Parts: sequence; structure tokens; C-alpha cells
Amino acid sequence: MASKAIFSTLRRSLTKPNRAVSRRHHLSTSSAATASEPYAGDEHAIVMKGVRISGRPLYLDMQSTTPLDPRVFDAMNASSIYDYGNPHSRTHLYGWEAENAVEVARIQVAKLIGASPKEIVFLSGATEANNTVVKGVMHFYKDKKRHVITTQTEHKCVLDSCRHLQQEGFEVTYLPVRTDGLVDLEMLREAIRPDTGLVSVMAVNNEIGVVQPMEEIGRICKEHKVPFHTDAAQAIGKIPVDVEKWNVSFMSMSGHKIYGPKGIGAMYVRRRPRVRLEPLMNGGGQERGLRSGTLATQQVVGFGVACELAMKEMEYDEKWIKRLQERLLNGVREKLDGVVVNGSLESRYAGNLNLSFAYVEGESLLMGLKEVAVSSGSACTSASLEPSYVLRALGVDEDMAHTSIRFGIGRFTTEEEIDKAVELTVKQVEKLREMSPLYEMVKEGIDIKNIQWSQH
Amino acid sequence: RQSRTFQQALFSNTLNLYTSFSTSSEKCGEETEKINVTFVDKDGEEIHIKVPVGMNILEAAHENDIELEGACECSLACSTCHVIVMDTEYYNKLEEPTDEENDMLDLAFALTETSRLGCQVIAKPEIDGIRLAIPSATRNFAVDGFVPKPH
Repeated sequence: MASKAIFSTLRRSLTKPNRAVSRRHHLSTSSAATASEPYAGDEHAIVMKGVRISGRPLYLDMQSTTPLDPRVFDAMNASSIYDYGNPHSRTHLYGWEAENAVEVARIQVAKLIGASPKEIVFLSGATEANNTVVKGVMHFYKDKKRHVITTQTEHKCVLDSCRHLQQEGFEVTYLPVRTDGLVDLEMLREAIRPDTGLVSVMAVNNEIGVVQPMEEIGRICKEHKVPFHTDAAQAIGKIPVDVEKWNVSFMSMSGHKIYGPKGIGAMYVRRRPRVRLEPLMNGGGQERGLRSGTLATQQVVGFGVACELAMKEMEYDEKWIKRLQERLLNGVREKLDGVVVNGSLESRYAGNLNLSFAYVEGESLLMGLKEVAVSSGSACTSASLEPSYVLRALGVDEDMAHTSIRFGIGRFTTEEEIDKAVELTVKQVEKLREMSPLYEMVKEGIDIKNIQWSQH
Repeated sequence: RQSRTFQQALFSNTLNLYTSFSTSSEKCGEETEKINVTFVDKDGEEIHIKVPVGMNILEAAHENDIELEGACECSLACSTCHVIVMDTEYYNKLEEPTDEENDMLDLAFALTETSRLGCQVIAKPEIDGIRLAIPSATRNFAVDGFVPKPH
């Protein structure tokens, strides 16, 4: 609770609320719909990017990033000031101390995933790890292995690296997933060819939160002797991860998804049986030659501490987050109908709840939920205009894909935040449904799928 | 060059004479078994040498003036004696590399699937006729073409 007090004072001192009095302009119906409450708490109102919010929003977007755990911050702070030596300097105390700090962190990361510290390579994040593994493995074995298998719901960095490989002449199979988001194991088995060089399946999906059957996939890959890579950025510290049980050869990890700093991640590269990869960063041969460059000691230290904390608190966090997830889902379902959970409800990480609200327009829902920081699978949140490819892979209709909201619950989320989020969501959805002609028609019993929309 | 190899042959023959005398109790008149090894250097030139069984490839290369650097002198602390076994068959006949050798190999330049450290490849009759390619460079940055002399 003390940390919360520190955080709120920090926040208040850092943000300068706009005290200018402005007149309400009802420019259009959509802005009328999204106009916030009467200006009761106007002294804390924030105006940014043309949007007025009555205060700082509730943070429910833990999949995009997590706040820094204050204990991680303490460790990083001390390390930044004192461990300023280059950890690769072999000749003096400053180098030795920095190297020590890095090696301690390496052990902390390795323990979390059941690996040996010699198998951990630090780099700038899961994106770099994914790029290094996908491109590096295929480039190393390019004479014999020309095929990669991945899923249609992978993270963009894996899919883009695969597309890049396709440009170079490799073949990639993008496995479709079932409607619950899980990989079909028979399809995977059939897709493996003698020249398959890599299978890449992420452990926990960042958009819908489903947990893939890692042990079974690992078993299939071991049978066919194909290296298995997993993007475990959303999985470590949240679900039990064991590289031996899962039989993974490569794993990508990210610091800022487990209450650690941004700009740091790690790659697990199996030593026995040895799998080789061509590095993306050439240079002095640091990190087993796989990632040259000076390590950012304080980032590494922060990542290590975050992993240790995650290991200690995983069970407790799971119970807390599961409780909050049920509170959120039940709260919304009590008041609203037509709420669909995207992805399997059983094989899922509790902290990721992706909901679609039928008969509601996605962009207006997001605009109305400005007091809750969430993410959506609709077009406006991605740089390109396409709606979420993950939801499309699940077979979700375009109209439902557009209205999906991803609620991210984390270690520091409180019950009050969940209750408020439920209240705001329900209110906004009801408001939009009131205005929606489609909802009216459904209430009258008309089947929307049979309507002939006229073409202009 | 012709005369040099003739001299070398003479020299090695006399050596063999001595060795055969010293081990006469075990192998009456027999020479120590030698296997054929071919080195292919970075320009594609082939060098055929004979290596006695039990000698490691790096030592054999040095004895025959082949440009294979051995900075740590067979102590598994560098990757400069990196050689590429050209035929997968022969690669499989060699013993599995240890974790330490693999760790050093990870740092080698131009690593391939059939790479080994020369100092860890011991000559044995099964690998008679093995062909080893010398990579174009080592981890040492001799981009100016500098060739270190063997110690």
C-alpha cells in the first residue's frame, strides 16, 4: 500500500492538470455519446490529443506493458549508480563487479524457466529474440532446412520475420488455429516435413490470452527432431514454464511484461542437444557469440530481480488475478447480454480477458471508455487499417472483431479498479446499444444475417 | 619446394626408423600407423598429409606448415583451429564434441554444421581419407591479411 501512495504522489507531481475552463461543443452524436460526466472533478481533468478525461484512467492494459515493480526499481537504481563498469572488461574491479551483477541476474532468469545460466543470452527484448531465432536458425541451416512452421496467431515480429524469410526463398506454413485459439496437434504433425528447420508457437497469446498445449507440441517436435521455439514473453512469471518439460530449444523472454524494465529481454538457447544459430549482431563475441555488444547492466539486473520476484509470487498473483478476472467477467455478464469471450476460457491465462460486445461499434466503444486504459482488436489501434488478424484466425466475424476489448489484469490491479471498469463498460455498451438500430432489430426478433443491405 | 618435401620425407623416414627401433619389442619392424588427411585451404588448394594415429589435427597441421592457427595451444580456450569436415559421413565418425568444445565453436567464424576444433580431432584409422576445409578467417581480426606464426 505504501508503494501505491508513492506512485500516486509521483503521478500527481508529474502531471499538470489543465485547469482551463472550456465550453461543451456537441459536434456530433458520437461525441455526445462519449461526453463524460458533469464536470464534478474538473480540477483533475486532463486534456490530451483532443480528448478530455476527468482524471488518470484505470490501467487495465497489462499485456501491452506492466508498471515497474518498486522493488525492481530499487535494484536498478542502485545498480545504475554503482555498477557502471563494462561487464566485459576483464582487467579491473569495475568490470568484475558489473559482470558479477549480470551473472547473478542470469541465474535468476534461468531459475524461472528451469534452464542452466549458460543457456541464457541477454538482448533488447522479445522482438530481438524472436528475430534472432527465426532468422538465425534458418540462415544457419539454410542448405538443408528450407521450411518453417508457425501459427496464424503469432506475434507480429515472428510473422514478419517469417515473411522476410519467404522473400529470401524459404517456405513457411502458417498453421490455422481452432475457434478456441489452440493449435490443432494433428495438423502440426502433418505439416512437419524432412526439411522443416523450426517450429515456432507462442506459449501465451498476447491478444486473447490462450495457453497452447506446450508439452504436447514439444513431444511432437522431439519425435521429428525439429527445433521448437516459443515466444514466452507473456508466459514467464505467469504460468509455470519449464524448458525441459516443454522440450523447447529456443525461448524468447521480455522484461517489461513481468514488472521489469523496458529495453531488455532474454533468449534461451539450448546447449544439449546443441542447436546453432547465426547471430544478428556481430562483433566482439559477447553472450556466447550470439549477441555482441555491451550489456546494459542495470537493465539486466532489473530483469533478473523481476524474474526472481515473479517466481516467488507466481502462485499468489495467480490467485489474485483469477479472482479479479471472475469479478470482471461476472460483473459484465450480469448486466449485459451478447458478451463473447474470445479464445478458450479453460486453457487461458487469467490476466488476459478479451471480450466482444455484440451490436456495438468498436471505435465508439473505445472512445467512450477513455477512463479505462484498455486495448482493442480493432483497426484504430493498429498502424495498418486491418482488424486483428488473431481474431480473424479464430473465425470471429468482422463485426465482432471490431468490438473486441482486451482487459489486462495484473499484480497491482485492485478490486475497486475492476468494479469501476465494469461500471464504465456496462454504461458505455448500454448507451451505444440504445442508439444501435441493429440491436433494436435483434430485440424485435429479426435475424440480422438475413438482411439484404442495399448496395449504393 | 620439391627439394623441401624430399628433405622432409628423408627426415620423417629417419624419425620412423628411430621410432620403429624403439618400439621393436611391440611391433617388429612395423611403422606407427598413419592415416591420410587432406586439407583444403581458403583458396581451394589441397594439401595431402599423413598423420600418425593418436596425434591431433592441429599438431599435424603445424608439423606440415599448414596455415591453421592455434592460439591457445590445444587448451580449449579459443576457436582459431576451427576446421570444417567436408563430408558428413566423416563428421559422424568423429566422437561427439564436448560441451566445452561446443561453447568455443559457438564463437568461431564461419561456423557450419560439420565444424570441429582441430585440436580435438584425434587421428584414428576410421577417419582415413578425411577432408578438412580451413575457413577463410578466424575470430582474430586479421582483416589486413596478417598470419600469426605458430608458437
